[in-house]
Amino acid sequence: MNLADMISFAAQASDKIAAYVPDSIFLAIAAATIAGALITVLSRSLIYALMGLVLTMFGIAGLYVYLDSPFLAMMQILIYVGAITILIAFAIMLAGPMYKHPGEWSGIIKFAGALIVSILPFIFLYKVLMRTDWIKEGVDEFGLTTKEIGRTLFDKLTFPFELISLLIVVAIIGAIMLALLSKGEK
Amino acid sequence: MTGQFLYNNLYIYLFISVFLLCAGILGIVFRRTLIGMLISVELILNGAGLNFVALNRFLDQDNASGVIFTLFIMGIAAAEAAIALGVILLTFRMFKHIEGEKLKEMKD
Repeated sequence: MNLADMISFAAQASDKIAAYVPDSIFLAIAAATIAGALITVLSRSLIYALMGLVLTMFGIAGLYVYLDSPFLAMMQILIYVGAITILIAFAIMLAGPMYKHPGEWSGIIKFAGALIVSILPFIFLYKVLMRTDWIKEGVDEFGLTTKEIGRTLFDKLTFPFELISLLIVVAIIGAIMLALLSKGEK
Repeated sequence: MTGQFLYNNLYIYLFISVFLLCAGILGIVFRRTLIGMLISVELILNGAGLNFVALNRFLDQDNASGVIFTLFIMGIAAAEAAIALGVILLTFRMFKHIEGEKLKEMKD
């Protein structure tokens, strides 16, 4: 086998490997999302549940990248991982529920009931999902730019956008008032 | 390399979002503390956002509605988490615990 044969063989092998790389990364991200959801629900400690939630958020950001919307992936990491998770961590530290009851499990009967309540809609929705005739293959390019998102947001949906900002202001003021007023009553 | 990629399939995304929804329901029902329930609600909201974006990308290419709706969901989730944090702090100050089962003062 001379050198040219070896080079062409290596090129073919790398082509074959490269065809599998996106799928394997995608499967790893999906598995991380599902495992994070399971950790979130089933772990005994709240801090571990929060770490599972972070894993799920990162996995969903990766899925957004695979769905051709990197802007949304960035927003997911900024808002969920950066803001909401920190907020829940503050709640865990301030309310401190772990010093008396480290366990989150509350009996096997309740767990069985919760399992039934959550698995029945899972089976139902799974059957509906598999039976519906979606268009299976996506078009290769989505091509939704941030500019178009901004256009739609500020041309067509200006009023809901303003309502969202009003809602967030009211929520922040309400949270501050709740915390401050209860301290004043003491 | 024009093979059928696995990530070009709508079913996988919808399956993941259904899984997140049911995991969230499981968490809400059997978690003991209010913070655990809050975390489970976040799971459900994430599944809904993934559902919107997947349907937008595969079934309605020319429109940005699903992506923008997911942005709205993120904003509402932030507001909801702030309010829930305030309520949980207040509950902890009044009752010295945040377990959902023992909060039955209005029931007695």
